[in-house]
Amino acid sequence: MAHHKPEITDDLFVHEPLEEGKAEELAGTPSNFWVEAAKRLLKNKGAIMGLITIIIIAILALVGPLMNQYDYQDQDLIRSNLPPLVTGMEWMGFNGEDSHGTNVYAEREVTDAPAWFGTDEFGRDLWTRVWKGTQISLFIALTAAFLDLVIGVIYGGVSAFYGGRVDNVMQRIVEILVGIPNLILIILFILILDPGITSIILAMVITGWVNMSRIVRGQVLQLKGQEFVLASRALGASNKRLMWKHLIPNVMGPIIVTLMFTIPTAIFFEAFLSFIGLGLQPPLASLGTLIEDGYQEMRFFSYKLIFPAIIISAIMISFNVLGDGLRDALDPKMRK
Amino acid sequence: MKKFIFFLFVAAFMIFAAGCGFDNGSEDATSDNEDTTSENDTNNENSESEGDTSGEKVINLTQTADIPTLDSAHAHDGIAFTVLNNVNEGLYRGNENHNPELAMAEDHQISEDGTVHTFTLRDAQWSNGDPVTAHDFEYSWKRIFEVVGHYNVMFETAGIENASAIIDGEKSPDELGVVAEDDKTLVVTLEGPNALFTQLLTFPVFLPQNQAFVEEMGDGYGVEAENILFNGPFVLDSWQHDQGWTYKKNPNYWDADAVNVDEINVNVVKETSTGVNLWETEAVDRILLSSAYVDEFQSDESFNTEVRPSIVFMRFNHNLEQFQNANIRQAIDMAIDKKGLTDTILNNGSVPLYSLVPYEFSYSPDEEKDFRELNGEFNQGSVEEAQELWEEGLSEIGSDGFEVALTVADDENHVKSAEYLKNQLETNLPGLTLEIKTVPFEARLEQEKAVEYDMVVSTWGPDYSDPMTYIDMWVTDGPANRMDYSDETFDQLVADAKVETDAATRYQLMLDAEKQLLDEMHIAPLYQRADSLLTRTNIKGLVRHPAAPEYEYKWIDVE
Amino acid sequence: MVKFVIQRLGYMVVTLLIIITITFFLMQLLPGTPFSNPEKLSDRQLEVMNAKYGLDKPLAIQYFTYLGNLIQGDLGVSFQSQGRTVNAMIGERIGPSALIGGQGVVIGLILGLILGVISALKHNTIFDYGAVFIAVLGMSIPSFVFAALMQYYIGVQWGLLPAALWKDYSYSIMPSLALSVLVIATVARFIRSEMLEVLGQDYVNTARAKGIKEVTVILRHVLRNALIPVVTVLGPLAVSIMTGTLVIEKIFAVPGLGEQFTLSILVNDYSVILGITLFYSALFIFVIFIVDILYGILDPRISIGGGKKDGTS
Repeated sequence: MAHHKPEITDDLFVHEPLEEGKAEELAGTPSNFWVEAAKRLLKNKGAIMGLITIIIIAILALVGPLMNQYDYQDQDLIRSNLPPLVTGMEWMGFNGEDSHGTNVYAEREVTDAPAWFGTDEFGRDLWTRVWKGTQISLFIALTAAFLDLVIGVIYGGVSAFYGGRVDNVMQRIVEILVGIPNLILIILFILILDPGITSIILAMVITGWVNMSRIVRGQVLQLKGQEFVLASRALGASNKRLMWKHLIPNVMGPIIVTLMFTIPTAIFFEAFLSFIGLGLQPPLASLGTLIEDGYQEMRFFSYKLIFPAIIISAIMISFNVLGDGLRDALDPKMRK
Repeated sequence: MKKFIFFLFVAAFMIFAAGCGFDNGSEDATSDNEDTTSENDTNNENSESEGDTSGEKVINLTQTADIPTLDSAHAHDGIAFTVLNNVNEGLYRGNENHNPELAMAEDHQISEDGTVHTFTLRDAQWSNGDPVTAHDFEYSWKRIFEVVGHYNVMFETAGIENASAIIDGEKSPDELGVVAEDDKTLVVTLEGPNALFTQLLTFPVFLPQNQAFVEEMGDGYGVEAENILFNGPFVLDSWQHDQGWTYKKNPNYWDADAVNVDEINVNVVKETSTGVNLWETEAVDRILLSSAYVDEFQSDESFNTEVRPSIVFMRFNHNLEQFQNANIRQAIDMAIDKKGLTDTILNNGSVPLYSLVPYEFSYSPDEEKDFRELNGEFNQGSVEEAQELWEEGLSEIGSDGFEVALTVADDENHVKSAEYLKNQLETNLPGLTLEIKTVPFEARLEQEKAVEYDMVVSTWGPDYSDPMTYIDMWVTDGPANRMDYSDETFDQLVADAKVETDAATRYQLMLDAEKQLLDEMHIAPLYQRADSLLTRTNIKGLVRHPAAPEYEYKWIDVE
Repeated sequence: MVKFVIQRLGYMVVTLLIIITITFFLMQLLPGTPFSNPEKLSDRQLEVMNAKYGLDKPLAIQYFTYLGNLIQGDLGVSFQSQGRTVNAMIGERIGPSALIGGQGVVIGLILGLILGVISALKHNTIFDYGAVFIAVLGMSIPSFVFAALMQYYIGVQWGLLPAALWKDYSYSIMPSLALSVLVIATVARFIRSEMLEVLGQDYVNTARAKGIKEVTVILRHVLRNALIPVVTVLGPLAVSIMTGTLVIEKIFAVPGLGEQFTLSILVNDYSVILGITLFYSALFIFVIFIVDILYGILDPRISIGGGKKDGTS
């Protein structure tokens, strides 16, 4: 910054013809950015903890259902409503006693492998169902969040960037989409497509991206008048480049936060759909439907609610801490 | 510019606030309501504190939804029927044993051929002081046809002259077989003798309406508590839409001495958990439990279960080859452990059902024996027997198994039942694959009516207290058939029973009809619904009829 | 600017018309009839009733009849509760919804701001993690579980507030608190993330360097800029909360609009669906309009009116 500045006069400026290659040269080395970002992320203990938790949960979601002899849909009325029991962990409450304090296992003379997370009224093993449900919920939530992200960022970005008439038309379309009750759309959608995971995801995405697009639009509107954008434009950056290299990275913070909201919303929205008969077809389960069922019985069979609720909270907190870390790592302003 | 924008913002905010002025307005209205309710509250408190001295009796009940309408011509659901039944009175009222008893009528003469019924009304008055006359009945009955009420078919079931023709549009409502000869005499003409007639007269569509008042209210009749007149044991003191309503004892009721409580408050509570919490804060005196709460409360002395006559069963699509086979239908029915379903899965007092007509619903005219006791239970057997039938059926249709869909509405208990059925049938009947299709209630009904399903979990509740309400469902092309079942013998039995005047013979025909339907299991009955309830032990005398109108508060009492 | 406002109002009318049109025709595709108790309705009855309500006429005629009535401010009569006008139903129901929703948004905004500011200023400290934890827990535990727990402990066990029902003001406090949870979480997360962003900007350093008091820097420079995305989310969020939420209204037995809307769709109460859709969209579009104007006030660099100035180069 200690350069000597000669006096600047207008005739010193020559209009440089636009060259794609030139722009790349000016961009510096992009690989540095990612390496740096990864380094920054690794330094953030919270984010790493979050990442590890997510990985553990993901592995359990895949492996958990195979860890005992029960399938997620095996019914056995003798094992109906068994409280959680883990041999060796009785002191933690995994003692096989119900809310009245009677040991149900002894009472019913159940001798096969204990249910670690208890069983539901069908006698289905909740350990297996909870992890199976985590698997499905994670799949649905991540896919929906990803689609929301892609559509929302593109739509919001384009709308704000081009502004004027384009923005006007695009925003009116959004208003129409939001105005039409999405429950009607979803019912129609699922009646046409048959209930199932694909139709749930599509139904969620129809209007799910709107929020994201509004956030991105608001941010881009704010950013595009700022000096560094003008500077970049003056240097001949193309619209596409402006958007991807300058605007979007700067909107990363709100995008990640919104994304973090999309995940629980998707999980619970799926539960709501299942509740009104439009979601997963039983006997499939998801964290949302397990929580919904558990909620009905939370006073007497609280274990049915507690385990899925803990897992969903763990997923959420991990994603958030990781999200924060990612945002800090990716934020161009944090570069040193 | 900045100032201008600021001004604009303020202006926009004002518009917004004014937009909320709509809200504010209604908030004011609510707060008015709140005021009036809190006044009521204080009244309650007063009355309760007085209750200790003067013995004012107040009961707090819950309902799961608001009253859709109190116009007896349009009323169509259990909640409205219950309210109408307690604030109004027709010619007959159901008694503690669910038998019709003279009410507004003090005398009922029947002509020898059983077609002309002459009612003499007692002295009674509307809540505005007008006397209740025979003209009120004639007006109200004909009005149902003029305004096309939901339940005008009850007149057809009752066999009142020209009812069918009027519904079909061939005759005008004026030609209905009901005439008020004078203020006290009502003459009703039937198309033929009808054993069900007096029973049906307790149904709310047969309530009287005061013509002058109805016409004064116009479209608003029965929409608010002030827009309806009362002649029953109670008056509706207030009605806050979607919050609740309050009954007060009607001092001008002819039998007011029999009415024991002074006030009944009904609160709209849609969630069971909310009801339980209100019960524990003593805000309500009777709540409906879902099965999740049964384990917690079943040893409580306030806990009881009430078996209801409504049935849950599976329809088979009779157009499918596999379901035309009797062995396969029987095998499917027999392979289900229905007791496991009701006792473990539903766990709310529901009773396994092996027949069409439910338990404790109808008793034979001569011996007073339960219909169920006379006809017994159908198609009971072990899993092994079911498997034998299944093998036999499969070889008859030349198949080694098939996949079918089980359509089910999004009701919690129905979905649970379907999950259980899937497991039971797939485990017990090798080669059968069941795919569960949960759909919204309206969609299930539409598929059911169009017979576009393989198997469907259906429900049926009685329209009146007679086995016929279940049996005539299954006549060929009947509106409730919905599975393309058609059997000449069955149709003939039903047709004979409908015109039979001898009660015992008629009963036998209905017994035979049920046998005809269930000998080859044309439907698969699952369970008879029951309610698990908590009721304060000091509440006595609440009568619950099997068919609408459901509740009778006339004799309710707090000890 | 005036032109801009008038233009937008014009668009609003067009947008609403399109929404009503699409909803009107889509709604017809839903399975079933609008009449109650369809289980017992025979085809013959259905025919008569369709004729009575004009549902046997061609859709186009029904549509224009509806629009005709709409212009006169008449939203029609509910099919399910005969005789009740949709205007009256919305009028009665919106009060409680708006009251608990409004209180929920205010509580949520205040608590969310406090949490968000604390966690941004104490970035990566125990306060920050605590605040993030609370906010994340608020959005990962479903509102129905939270509401049910509140009802059980505050209402039943401790008896501090009425458990449910809707009788006087005290009955509105618990539902408002339950609704505020989501708002707290949303506001806290956005404020935190935005403030962190703004805190690193040059003008904040400049302001500090000028010796302006830290409180003033935070309030005038940091918070003001951090509020922009919050406004974007909060506007529509406030509309959807204040026009009623199914779950909270059901659990606390509040006679609000949210439950009515879902129910009307599930039972095909056509006139009620259209009425509430219109009401909701109008409010929503209006709030978005306000939000757009607020952008300009909160951040003078944004101009939404003149697209040409900073449009494509």
